[in-house]
Amino acid sequence: MGRRRRQVREEASAWAAAGTRTLPDAIAALSRSLPAGPSPEIFRRAKFDRPEAAPELWRLLFRVLSPLLADRAAASPGLGAQACWVKAVLCYHGYPRSALAQLPEDGSQGSRELLLALSWLLARGPLLEWLLAQTCVQLGDQVPTFEYEVLAIPRLAAPQMDAEGPVDIRHLQWLMGKLHFRWQNLISIQQEQCALLSKIHTYTFGCHSDQNLGHLSVTETETLRDPEGSQQLLQVLEQENARLEAALEWRRYELVFWQWMDTVLGACPPEDPSVPSFQPRIPEHGRGKLELVARELQALKEELQVLQKLLHEEVLSRRQAWETRVGALGHGPEWSTSRQDLQQAVEQELLALQQSWKQDRYPSLPRRRHRLVKIEAGAAGAQGLPVAEVIRGLKSQEASLEVVLCQLQGQCRQELARLVGTMPGLIWILPPGR
Amino acid sequence: MSIVTVQLGQCGNQIGFEVFDALFMDSQCSQGFCSKRENEAYQASCRERFFREENGVPIARAVLVDMEPKVINQILSKAAQPGRWKYGQHACFCQKQGSGNNWAYGYSVHGPKHEESIMSLIQKEVEKCDSLSGFFIIMSIAGGTGSGLGAFLTQRLQDHYSNALKMNQIIWPYGTGEVIVQNYNSILTLSHLYRSSEALLVHENDTIHKICAKLMNIKQISFRDINQVLAHQLGSVFQPTYSAEGSFHYRRNPLGDLMENLVPHPEFKMLGVRNIPQMSENSLAYSTFTWVGLLKHLRQMLISNAKMEEGIDWQVRPSLPRLPPLNKLSLNREQHFNTSLANLVILRGKDVQNANLEGFKDPALYTSWLRPADALSVWKTSRAFNRYERSAALVSNSQFFVRPLDTIVGKAWNMFASKAYIHQYTKFGIEEEDFLDSFTLLEQVIASYCNL
Repeated sequence: MGRRRRQVREEASAWAAAGTRTLPDAIAALSRSLPAGPSPEIFRRAKFDRPEAAPELWRLLFRVLSPLLADRAAASPGLGAQACWVKAVLCYHGYPRSALAQLPEDGSQGSRELLLALSWLLARGPLLEWLLAQTCVQLGDQVPTFEYEVLAIPRLAAPQMDAEGPVDIRHLQWLMGKLHFRWQNLISIQQEQCALLSKIHTYTFGCHSDQNLGHLSVTETETLRDPEGSQQLLQVLEQENARLEAALEWRRYELVFWQWMDTVLGACPPEDPSVPSFQPRIPEHGRGKLELVARELQALKEELQVLQKLLHEEVLSRRQAWETRVGALGHGPEWSTSRQDLQQAVEQELLALQQSWKQDRYPSLPRRRHRLVKIEAGAAGAQGLPVAEVIRGLKSQEASLEVVLCQLQGQCRQELARLVGTMPGLIWILPPGR
Repeated sequence: MSIVTVQLGQCGNQIGFEVFDALFMDSQCSQGFCSKRENEAYQASCRERFFREENGVPIARAVLVDMEPKVINQILSKAAQPGRWKYGQHACFCQKQGSGNNWAYGYSVHGPKHEESIMSLIQKEVEKCDSLSGFFIIMSIAGGTGSGLGAFLTQRLQDHYSNALKMNQIIWPYGTGEVIVQNYNSILTLSHLYRSSEALLVHENDTIHKICAKLMNIKQISFRDINQVLAHQLGSVFQPTYSAEGSFHYRRNPLGDLMENLVPHPEFKMLGVRNIPQMSENSLAYSTFTWVGLLKHLRQMLISNAKMEEGIDWQVRPSLPRLPPLNKLSLNREQHFNTSLANLVILRGKDVQNANLEGFKDPALYTSWLRPADALSVWKTSRAFNRYERSAALVSNSQFFVRPLDTIVGKAWNMFASKAYIHQYTKFGIEEEDFLDSFTLLEQVIASYCNL
């Protein structure tokens, strides 16, 4: 009995001691697992809102929020642009505190607010896992599948293109043509890549130690051919391992970090309710358009409500009619069993409909990365995702996108016809069709 | 990336032979004025694009089509000499009877009848490419086989190989040509090609004839001489060049890059080539040029629409930059200033990195809706072409062909107005409607180019 009480007391004191000792470890683990993570000292200074910690945190947030852009080192914008962008993206993602919006745009202050923003991002979703997945080293050849999420990130503002006066439509046609040619070039390069990949896979068949894979990928073939280059690959793998280990360590000490963040939040001055919440600057002509859009939305909402009411009434009247018809029928035992069967059949049909509707609207494609493996036709025990399924998924995506394209083209044609109608005496001569 | 050439008719086949020969001889040439390694890279790039290997012998990536066997047999035997290149063994398609210069016969009869055989020949050649960049289709626009069948085949290629690019090398007939219906044939060919091809690279017989006479000092000009000059022009455009400024890798897809820079707009597809310098082989050893001189002449050739470096009108000058666009248009028209849509300048030879192209970046040369940065592209290589120590070529999408096209359309219209020789065409399914469509399309093209 006594021994047990002593154990509990020991555990409690160990835990209390662990609290103060592992905070630096926790923060160190966090910064090691982040790409370009700042030193733990920066975190500590940020708690006290020291200005020297601000630039590093701005850069970290920029890197975290735009892993795709930040890869190209040459295109790295200045601190001011980074700060502006980070503020916009955080607002877009719904960051609740208005203090962020009021930080100066030169990136010189606000380290505590940035620390809060970082922990908000960490708490929202699997940020670390997402970042690690972005820079994951691939040893196999990848299947490029169409990823919707790439398009959701707001882009850095393009250089100001003032349309002084009307744009010459020939210039637009010129640009469309260029795009078309580049697209074709991309497709033929991809086809060539596939043909060459197929060659490598066929030549190296039987070389892989893993029986399930059977052949080497391009990266693996390169490491065999070029031992010095493989040293670099090893280094990259080791770096990734270090980050993964840091991420695991972070998971163990996470609780300590959140306890500390509570104190950081406590150290902030209370929010001033009179300050307006973050509002992005809207250019003049944009404001008019936004009003139009807002009005349209309002009109659509009202229409939707009216339609809903109508639908409701319709459903009600039909149900009453059905009840009066059905109510006359008997309630015998054989009626209840047939009713049960009917109910089951209807449920199944509904389920099937829902499934097919879901599949049509969002044809499911594999989100995880898959390694490209060439197997003999009809080989047994093939694991992973078969190519036929990917092709099916892509084809259904293509079909739905084509439908959308046709609809949009039809809308454009209607709009053009309407515009032509407003200008009497105008003759359309279409260019020689492509 | 490889280019497959389709040689059509007497004209197309003879020219095609000279083109492959010029490309091959240039790639073999050891006098490249550059390092050995450079030479080898150049050779490899050229070989991969236009030839394939079979038992150590280079085989041209080409399909030969003609309705008569005579010309094809001639060039097959000329090509198959030891130490040189060959045509593929089964790359030819011939028939025993010609087309009698009847476009409609070539388009409506020969085309559908022989479509399958010809397309399967092309397919076999395409399969032997690791990656296909596109097609060259060499044809004349005034004859019977080349023009009608060529128009038909280009359409079929468009349907079958929608991802591959097509450049039609078209031979513009002599103004005083022998074929009476050459204007009909020309307008029908041009309008059909405009719909299905991406680019039309025009070679004018009259121009090349003058080059042979004045620059090369040839007394008795044969078709062989003309074809060789043409082949030299094409070679100077499509032989390998560096892929980017400062790079030493050769460009992988010159056809695609050319098209992207010159013909993205669907209304402007007519391209012309100008070369400088051009001279006989004897004079080659005694001449030397500077980039400054060459580029100055080339620029003036462009803006004054001169066909060669002799007899250039130096009075033609770009109008002042501050003029409003409408005044500029009329002033340019008065002095026959050739406005460009887009230009591609290709420089080959010694010290190519020192060549100054500021003259070509003048916005006055170009149309108002395209900036010189978008309109001008420059390709370079330090490896000399065809033993010319320094040479420059210009591929231009400009008003070069407004007048010749207008002339041909005018003549064809006059004939059409009196319904002369129409029955030859309606007999084989080409109705007056088709003629009218062609006239409309070409008038539209002329108008678009005039409004640059």
